[in-house]
Formats: sequence, C-alpha cells, structure tokens
Amino acid sequence: MRAATWTGVNEVSVETVPDPTLLNDHDIIVKVRKTTSCGSDLHLLGGYIPFMRAGDVLGHEFMGDVVEVGKGVRERKVGDRVVVNSFIACGTCWYCKQELYSLCDNGNPNPGITEGLWGQSPGGCFGYSHAVGGFAGSHAEYVRVPYGDVGAFVVPEEVSDLRALFASDAVSTGWMGAELAGTKPGDTVAVWGAGGVGQMAARASMLLGAERVLVIDRLPERLAQVREHVGAEVIDYSTTDVMAELRELTGGRGPDVCIEAVGMEAHSPGVHGAYDQVKQQLRLQTDRPSAVREAIMACRKGGSLFVLGVFAAAVDKFPLGAMMNKGLTVRGAQVHGQRFTPRILEHMARGELTTEHLATHVMPLEQAPKGYQMFKDKEDGCVRAVFEP
Amino acid sequence: MPLPKIVTRAAGLAGGAGGKALARLQHLRLPGIGQSSVTDDPLTAARRWRAVTVLTDPEQLRTAIPAPLAAFGDRLDVRVAPAPGDRGAELAARFRGPVTKDELGDLRAALRESKALVEVGEVLRVDPQPHGHRKPTPQGAAVEGMAAKAPKEGVL
Repeated sequence: MRAATWTGVNEVSVETVPDPTLLNDHDIIVKVRKTTSCGSDLHLLGGYIPFMRAGDVLGHEFMGDVVEVGKGVRERKVGDRVVVNSFIACGTCWYCKQELYSLCDNGNPNPGITEGLWGQSPGGCFGYSHAVGGFAGSHAEYVRVPYGDVGAFVVPEEVSDLRALFASDAVSTGWMGAELAGTKPGDTVAVWGAGGVGQMAARASMLLGAERVLVIDRLPERLAQVREHVGAEVIDYSTTDVMAELRELTGGRGPDVCIEAVGMEAHSPGVHGAYDQVKQQLRLQTDRPSAVREAIMACRKGGSLFVLGVFAAAVDKFPLGAMMNKGLTVRGAQVHGQRFTPRILEHMARGELTTEHLATHVMPLEQAPKGYQMFKDKEDGCVRAVFEP
Repeated sequence: MPLPKIVTRAAGLAGGAGGKALARLQHLRLPGIGQSSVTDDPLTAARRWRAVTVLTDPEQLRTAIPAPLAAFGDRLDVRVAPAPGDRGAELAARFRGPVTKDELGDLRAALRESKALVEVGEVLRVDPQPHGHRKPTPQGAAVEGMAAKAPKEGVL
C-alpha cells in the first residue's frame, strides 16, 4: 500500500510499504477514507520528539471503513464506517474504567521510554513515535486498529466524512479541555490557539454553557474562522496586549477557565519569544511554554487551566508562584477520546458541531509532503491538510 | 573504510547506546530535571518488590499465578494483595537470589504481560508494523535500541 512516512527532520515522503495485518484478536483493519495532519505532527517533523525512525508512517486522526476484524472483536463489523480515536486504549484496565483512556495501562508496548521520561507511561497512539508504542499511522491506505471495539465508533449516516474525521482527535481533545477544566454556564473561557483543537475547545465551551468565549491567535484566517464558524470572539496577540484586554473584558477578574491549545512550539513576539527559542535550540529546555505562562498569569483567582497542547519534557520560567498563590487548578492530558466521541457524534449529527471548514486543503495522499509543507508554513491559509488515500 | 560501512558501524554502536541510554533514563540526574532523592544501590534495587496493579479479584491471582510469572518457577517470591479503592489486586514479585539486569528486565516484562493477560486476555503486539525505508542513521539505530529494550525497561 502507499503511505506517508517520516524520513528525517522536516522530511516526508510517500512510499510503498507492506499492508498491515491483524496481530491481536481485538484488532480491526480500517481502509482509510480521510486522514488529517495535526499541529502536534509538527513536533515530530521538527525533531522535537526524538523517538521517530526513518520510515515510520505518520498520522493519528482518521476515519474510514472496517475491512477486517479479529476473532475477539464483538461490536465492529466489516463494512462499518468508523471514526477512530487517536489514542489506543484497552477499555478494561482501571484507567479505562475511569474514562481516562489516554492513560491506558495496556495501550503502549514500549512503556520503558515514557516511564523514564515521565515516571509513568500513558497509552499508545497511532503514528506518534516509538515513545507511545511505535504504531504505524493513518496516512496510509490501511491501518491496523488495536482494541477495535473500544477505539472505533460508527459514524451516523447524517454526518459527512469530513465532519466525522475531526471527531478522531481535534474535537475530542477540545471537548476534553472544556469539560475537564470545569466549564459551566456563566463562565468566561479564554482559549490560546485557533487551530483545529483550539477552535473546537471554544465550540465545546459554548455548548457547555459558557457565557463568553475568547480565542487568542495571530493568524487572520484562523481568527476569521473562529468568528464565522465557531461564533466566539477573538484577540489578535500580535496587535493586542492580551492580559490587558482580558482584564478589560472580564471586569478586571480574568477568565474563569483558560485552555491552552498551542503546545511546545508556541510563538510569541518580542524578547520572550527569542528567549524561548534560544533556550530550546540550546536544549536548555525542551518546550516553549509561552502560552501556558500567559494563561496562568491571565486566569482569575481560583480559576482553572487545561493544557491541551503537547509538551515533551521540561520548561523554563514556569510561573509556579502565580499558580499556587492564585489557587489555580491546572490539568492536562492527551485525549481521552473514547469518553467524548459518542456525544460529539450526536452533536455533529444535529448540526451543532461543524468541522468541515477546518479542512482548508483536501488532497490525494500522494501530495502529503506538499500538504505538510503548506501546513507547517501556514501557506495559503492552511488550517489542516487532509489526505485521501 | 567506505562511508556505508562507517554509517552501519556507527548505527550499530548507537543502537547499543540507545538501549543503555534508556536504562539510565530511569534515574535522570540532570540539574533541574527528574529525581532529586538518593537512588538505591544496585543490590537494594535488585531486591525490591516489583509490582503491577491488576483490575481483577485478588483470589483469581492467588488461585492461578499468570503464566509469564509461573515460568520463573521457584526463583521468584510472588505476593498478591487487594488494592485499595476497588482498584483490583496488587501483584508483586522479586527474585529469591542474586539477579542480573537482564533477569530484572525479564521480570518487568513478565509482570506487564501478566497484567495484560488477566485484564485483556492477550498481550498487545506491535511488530511487524508497516514502515517505509529505514535509512541506517545513528539516531534511528538509537531509537531502535530503545524500542527493543522498552518492554523490559522502565521504573517497574
């Protein structure tokens, strides 16, 4: 089959690779209809997560048709049109029973790497390095899905492929941030980052009853999408003092809930941005946390922050004093998608959650290298490059 | 020496280094990162109970020790205790006599496999996975070395 592979730092190529096979009784094989680039892929491409091998198949956000099932699969069947969660979870361990699916004990066959980095190992993920299992990704004609009954969800007839695709990760991640941050009616929510995840965190906040939702970014086409398709307010941090604006808009309190949807390659203007860039390049910190810092400083006393962006290891100048003295609740997680996907698909079916606008560039899989270049450089207003094998 | 041979040799060394680096990663002592307390001496570390919590009735484990642990025969002490808060059972094991690093790795893998067999009914496999051309680079070999060692490494 054809697949888009990581071949080195900032190198993607499309190659012919072996077809996947059923390896476990609970596996299914999915013929991919659509698979999308994700902002977190850029950390792999840029070499910030150094656990990739040349030839690894990229991609973790996808949907398609079930074409084969293992003998232990009970619910999915050949012919089902499914969207698949990006994180791999068994559904039977204690973490899965608590609906903390990305923390699954039985989803990552390489726990030694992440236990060393973080003290414990989270679950596995498609196409996201050998640190989280080394599973082949979805930018391919076919993908093997472990624990198919747990991670693959049948897409309602009225939901289009392009809408369902983003339930795989962007919407479920955004929804998780809004819900687990404790968003409730009357809240003001600020979201850093207007990519797919940030937009969906904003939309989920609105559906959970937030009174006011503000999204912070610098890219005009993304801010325009927020206004038009999400219905939230926007702040351009390249022209506006975000902290002052948020204080002014919230009667001096600050947002009740802050959601960070940027990750380890945060851009920030001026000396702060240069400082983080230099420290990251010198390997004195692994991640650039400027959005997290700003969110902690902006959040109201006693408010909550959810970190959705992907971070690898250690950061510098973390405002621990502000977090502690303001009594903030700070949470973070990779996506517990299996927990939210059924609800998300219902909202999608009712037309309350639309995602088609995120797919600004839909192209054949053979054009994945070009798609990633456009996505990385934000060329032609690219929000997501979606590939069709 | 021709360049391809140099790269292959460098990759081979990097693979071994990757595995060793992974073992060292378990006790990062870089300033500002990782463990700040003292670490066990090797003898104490080897004698520690290594444990997984399995979401099952403790009686099930007491009645039948999972096959991956049973395979060690009488070289292991095994204990089973109820886990608090309806978390299932704590399954712990340690060697009765002197032990090598490789044997400790085998025990880690056996505990993880035992847990998976009880909770899921099978052990998740990852190989063979579809992949494209693997350029022989030192970085790739280091990752390969780490991945090969990863099931037997970790803080367990």
